[in-house]
Amino acid sequence: MTDLVMEARNVYKNYGKLEAVRNVSMQIRKGDIKLIFGPSGSGKSTFLRCMAMLTMPDKGEIYLGEQCLTKPGVDLNKARARIGFVFQHIYLFRHLTALGNVELALRQVLKLPKEEARARALAALKEVKVTECMNKYPNQMSGGQQQRIGIARAIARNPDIILLDEPTSALDPELTGEVIDTLRDLAKEGTTMLIVSHEMPFAREVAEEMIFYDEGSIVETGTPAHFFDSPHSERAKKFMTRIINRTTRE
Amino acid sequence: MDAWQELIFLLEGVPLTLSISIISFLAGIAIGLPLAFIRAYENEVSFVVDAYEKIFRGIPEIVLMLLFFFGLGLYFPFPFGNAFFVAAFVLGLRSGANQSQIFRGAIRGVGDEQMIAAQSIGCSKWQAIWHVMVPQVFTFSTPGLGSEYALLIKDSSYVWVIGGLAEIMTRSIWLKNVPPYDVVTPFVLAALLYIALTFPIAFWLDRWGNKRKKKIGL
Repeated sequence: MTDLVMEARNVYKNYGKLEAVRNVSMQIRKGDIKLIFGPSGSGKSTFLRCMAMLTMPDKGEIYLGEQCLTKPGVDLNKARARIGFVFQHIYLFRHLTALGNVELALRQVLKLPKEEARARALAALKEVKVTECMNKYPNQMSGGQQQRIGIARAIARNPDIILLDEPTSALDPELTGEVIDTLRDLAKEGTTMLIVSHEMPFAREVAEEMIFYDEGSIVETGTPAHFFDSPHSERAKKFMTRIINRTTRE
Repeated sequence: MDAWQELIFLLEGVPLTLSISIISFLAGIAIGLPLAFIRAYENEVSFVVDAYEKIFRGIPEIVLMLLFFFGLGLYFPFPFGNAFFVAAFVLGLRSGANQSQIFRGAIRGVGDEQMIAAQSIGCSKWQAIWHVMVPQVFTFSTPGLGSEYALLIKDSSYVWVIGGLAEIMTRSIWLKNVPPYDVVTPFVLAALLYIALTFPIAFWLDRWGNKRKKKIGL
C-alpha cells in the first residue's frame, strides 16, 4: 500500500447547480499513467484542480501519500510543491524568461542555493528540449515551446506526480506533436502522471488505464484496448466512435 | 526683477516641488499596492479600503492640508506643525487612494491565472503576489502611474495655502507681491516649469511601460 501516490475519496464539487465533480474516487500508484477523457464541460479539469487543491473540493478527501490534504490546517503550499501541474492554457509567468519560470519554485519554494537551482532548471529545460529558449520570454516562444516550458516548470522540483490538464488542446495541430513527444519521454522514465487528454494514439501508447468521465463522474474505466475495442457503456461507445472518426479524418 | 531673475528665483523652488511630489508618490505606492491586493483577495476587510479610498478621493486636498496643519497642528505640533510633513502626508494618503485603484485595475488585467499558476508550483499567497503579481502589476500600471505622478507635481502647488514651503507656487505668489507687481510673468513661468516637470517623466514612464508590455505580452 505504500506505493500509493495520490488518492481521491468520494470527491464532490459544485458550481451553483452545476455538479462538476460528483462522488469521484481514484487511486494513483507510483509509476501509473492514467488518462481521463470525456466531453468538454463534464468537469474533468475541475476534478484535476481539486486533486492539486487549486480548487477546494466541497466534500470528500484528497490524499497525497499518507497525508490528507482536505483536513483543515494542512500546509497546502508544501503539498502543492510535491504536485506538478500543467495547464491547458499554459499560464507561464509572463515577466520571467523560460529559465526564470523554471527556477522560481526551486529558489523560492524549495529554497535551493542559486547554483543548484540553476543547474536543476537547466536539466529540466534539457529534458523537454528547449534549452535554446532559456533566455526568451513566453511571449517570444511558440505555443509548443511554451507548453514544454510549462512541463519543465512542473517537473523541475521532482514532484511525486504530475497532473496535466489537456496539455495539447490549446495548441495548433502541428505543435501538439512536440509536446506529445515530451510526454512520451516522461512516460518512458516512469513518471507518475494523471492526464486529461483526447490524444487517442498517445493514450493507446502510454496509458495503463483510461477513465471515461462524463457529467461529473467516472462512467467507465479500462485499458486502452478495452476502450478501443469494446467499451461497455453507450456513452463511452458513442464518444469513442466520434473521437476515432475525428482522428482518422485528420 | 526682470523675467530672467524671476525664472531663476522660481527654479530654486524646483527641488522642493520635486521632493514633495516624489515622496508622496512613493508613499502612495507603499499604501496603494498593499491596499489593492487586500481589495482583490481579502473580501472581509475590503470595505475598510473602500472607505479610505472614498474619503481621500472625495475631500479636496486643500481642505485636508488646512485641517491637518492648522487644526491638528494646534494640538499635535509634532508632526502636524511641520508644513513639509503635512504636505507629503496629505498628498501621500490621497495618492495611496488613487494608486490603490490603479493597481486594482492592473491586478485584474494581469489575471487570476497567474496567481493560480504560482500557487500550483507551491508558492504561498504572499510569495505569489510578490514574485509573480507585483512585477506584472507595475508594468501594467505605467500609464496610470505616469498621470498620477503628473497630478502630484501639480497638486504640490496647493501647499501654498499652509505657507512656509518655498516651492514653485509659493515663490510665484511672492513675486506677484513685490515690485514691479507683475501678475503675468511669474505665473506663466510657473506654468512652463510645471509642464517641464510633468510631461517628460510621464511620457518616459508611458513609453517604457508600453515597450515592456510588448515584450512580455501583457
